[in-house]
Order: sequence, then C-alpha cells, then structure tokens
Amino acid sequence: MPKSPRAMRTMKDKLHFCLPFLVVFLLWEYAAAQGFWSSYILPSPARVWGTLLHMLQNGELIQHIRISLQRILWGFLWAFLASCLLSSLNLLFPRLRNGYSGLLEVFRHVPPLSLIPLLILWFGIGELPKTIIIVLASFFPMYLNMDDGFRRCDRKLLEVGQMLGFSPWKSLWKIRLPAALPGILTGLRIGMGYSLRAIIGAEMIAADSGLGFLILDAQAMSRSDKVIIGILTIGALGLILDGFFVLLERKALYWMH
Amino acid sequence: MDALILDHITKTYGSRTVLQDLSLSLFSQECTVILGKSGCGKTTLLRLLAGLEQPDTGTVSRPAGLKLGMMFQEARLFPWLTCRENVALGLPPGSSPREADHWLQLVQLTEAADQYPSQLSGGMQQRASLARTLAMHSGLILMDEPFAALDYFTRAQLQQELRSMQQELSMGTVLVTHNVDEALTLGDRLLILKEGKIALEEHLPPGKRDLLSPGLIEAKKRLLEELA
Repeated sequence: MPKSPRAMRTMKDKLHFCLPFLVVFLLWEYAAAQGFWSSYILPSPARVWGTLLHMLQNGELIQHIRISLQRILWGFLWAFLASCLLSSLNLLFPRLRNGYSGLLEVFRHVPPLSLIPLLILWFGIGELPKTIIIVLASFFPMYLNMDDGFRRCDRKLLEVGQMLGFSPWKSLWKIRLPAALPGILTGLRIGMGYSLRAIIGAEMIAADSGLGFLILDAQAMSRSDKVIIGILTIGALGLILDGFFVLLERKALYWMH
Repeated sequence: MDALILDHITKTYGSRTVLQDLSLSLFSQECTVILGKSGCGKTTLLRLLAGLEQPDTGTVSRPAGLKLGMMFQEARLFPWLTCRENVALGLPPGSSPREADHWLQLVQLTEAADQYPSQLSGGMQQRASLARTLAMHSGLILMDEPFAALDYFTRAQLQQELRSMQQELSMGTVLVTHNVDEALTLGDRLLILKEGKIALEEHLPPGKRDLLSPGLIEAKKRLLEELA
C-alpha cells in the first residue's frame, strides 16, 4: 500500500537523523578492525557493546544514570526557580536589578568548574557542591532567556492589558509570561544541555557514583570502553531530555503551530 | 452627562508640538469623531484620554466611575488565546465566561469562537477586538482608526454594524480617523484637529446616515475645505 506524503517525509527525516550515526559507527568499526590504533585507545564497537550489556545486566549503568539524573534534575530545578524569581523581581521592581546585575555579570563569565576548590572548602564533599555546580551551569541561559522574554514583551499587548485594568501581577501572568514562553522554553532546553555538560565537573567532587564518576573512574582504570559508554549515555540522556522539551514546546506553544 | 475633560493640554515630541493648549470636553452617550490628516496628533489625543500617555502641561479629568475601553488600529488580540478567551478577558470580574458568547454573537463571530487569532481574517480579528471592548461594559469607547487596515467592503460593513450598536447600546464613542466618510457615517459630533488645536466643530442629527443626502454632502464639503 503506498504511503502518504507525510509518512514518507517522516521516514525521510528519521533516515536523515540516523544516517550520520551509521556512518560514524561504520568508520569506527572499520578503524577498529584495521587495527589503526590499539584496542586500549579505541576499543571495537563489539567490545563496547559487550561491556554495555554487562553493565546493564549487573545494574551498574542504571545506578549511575539514576544518580546523575537525580543530580541534574535537582540542580536544574533550583536554577529554574532562581531564574523565575529573579526575572519576576526584575519586572515588578525594576530598580532592584541594579543591585545585583553587576554581580551576576561577573558570575556569568566564571566557569563553574573553577569554583570547585572553594565549594569543597565551604560545603564539604556532599551533594550540595555538586548541585551548586549544576545550578551555576544551567542558571544563566535560563535566566537570560526568561528575563529577555519578559522585558521584550510587545508593548502593544501590554497597553491592551492596561486598558483592561490588569494589575502588574496579572499583566505578568496573563501577558508577559505567555509572550515570553518561546524564549523561556529555549532557555530551558539550553539550560538542560548545560546541566548535562556540568555533570562531569560536579562528579569530580569526591563522587562514588554517577556518569561523571563512571567516566573519570574508567579513565583512571584505563577502561576506554567504559569511558565511551559514559559519554554515549550522557549524549543519549541529552537527546531524551531534549525530546521531552520539544514535546513540551509543542504542547505549550500550540497557538504557534 | 459624564464628560471627559481635557484642560489646556500641550504635548510635544522632541521639538515637534503635537497638541497645543487644547481644551475639550467629550461626552459619553454620543459619538465624537476627531478628524485630521496623518500626523496631526489624533492618536496622541486618544492615548492621552486613555491614560496611556501623560501631557506635558494641562490635565485630563475623568469622572469617577467612568470606565474607558479602547480599540486600537490593530486588533491586538492575544495570539495564545482563542477568540472566546480574548473576549472573556474584557468581561467585568465575576461575570460568567459564557457571557463572551453573547458579545461574539453580536459581532457575528459565534462560529469562530474557538479559533485562534492567526486563523482569523483581518476583519474577523477587528470584530473580535470590538467584542472584547464591548464586553468591558465601558462608559466610553475610544477607537483609534479601528477599520483603517481593512478593505473597502469590510470597512463599510463594520461601520454600519458599529453605528447600529452605538444606537442599540447607547454607547459613547470617541473615534479618530482621517476618513471623512467614516466620520460622517458614525459621528454625532465631528471635530477637526489641525495644528494641535480644534479647527472646526460640526454636529450631525441622530439616526441612520445617507452619505448622498444634501445635508451630509454640504457637511462633507465644509470638512474637506477645512482639512485641505
């Protein structure tokens, strides 16, 4: 039975998405089979696959994923709440911004990893410094997009709110928030990506589990197959989480489609 | 009769004086049309009345309890809300959201109640905007060239509908336009704004308007002479 043009397009899109993965995999397989590098430097896909199955069977990988995901989501949530709070304060009390904008600008340019020594000194080696690293990594893209979205709201729509007798709070809730939603969701997607990137840094702080720990530990043990599994797992997690945000975007921005 | 009073208003933008020592009373329950060429300060005047801008000197007094509604040149509907939800935003607190349907019916948009603004034509969007303004139950509606962006036929139809609604609902309106025919179709009191001041005032009899009647042809001549 002939497929509809839409179904054909979807299939084509999927093929375009998968093709680069297939090419990389084939090149990898070829390079490993030819023995260009020793298996210590580049293990074969078969060996990585075997290790992956083993790690899945004994629950080791799932445990690392669970711990890292917990840290990522926790840090991401705090960063999101802080972004909401600060950008709302900026709007409702514009003068307040001058009080902390300089400080934020300085911190925006400081790599979170550079704070690890101080964070360990101040907060020890528990979960708190790990969360702070993730918060610092994901806060700025979320905050800047949210703040920008709120501030750049169409003045014409705000005037409608004024004529409808909206209070500043109602105007924020009914006009600025929906108008800023596309920017906010973009900020969330970028922020989530940054949280994932920060997990290695966060798990450099005396961790004994998590994907960052898995990679660093495998490096110390010269297990490049496990390093590759750790990297690919973070990538796959990113893809899944980003997919979730794409769905959220479609749902929340129904009026744009 | 409630009146909105402008007292010795001056408004400048940079070195350009748009309104100069303007004094004017605008009454609810009549349709005042402010006519003038583009850039003569009509929209500024309306925005001052609405409280969206402040005068450099002079005062705008609004009687206590007089609620103002405003319809802009563009429909300015919230794109994330359906037609019905947009109209419901205009309803006074405590009203049932279903009351929006009544206003949508009045502007003949019942069919489009669940559609988003991007799914509506320009004329339909302006109707929805009118319904939202009407839903506010305001004592005086300010209209800033609301039909300027529409084609001739849609504009003529909406003008007729607005005229009927004005009479049916005893609705006070202040409309600014550069279209003399629109002014003659809708206005009870016509004011020509020129060089920041009221240059001419005309009063027209109530009732349905025939633009080809001798009285209106004469009025049109006077208005055009003053505008030229």
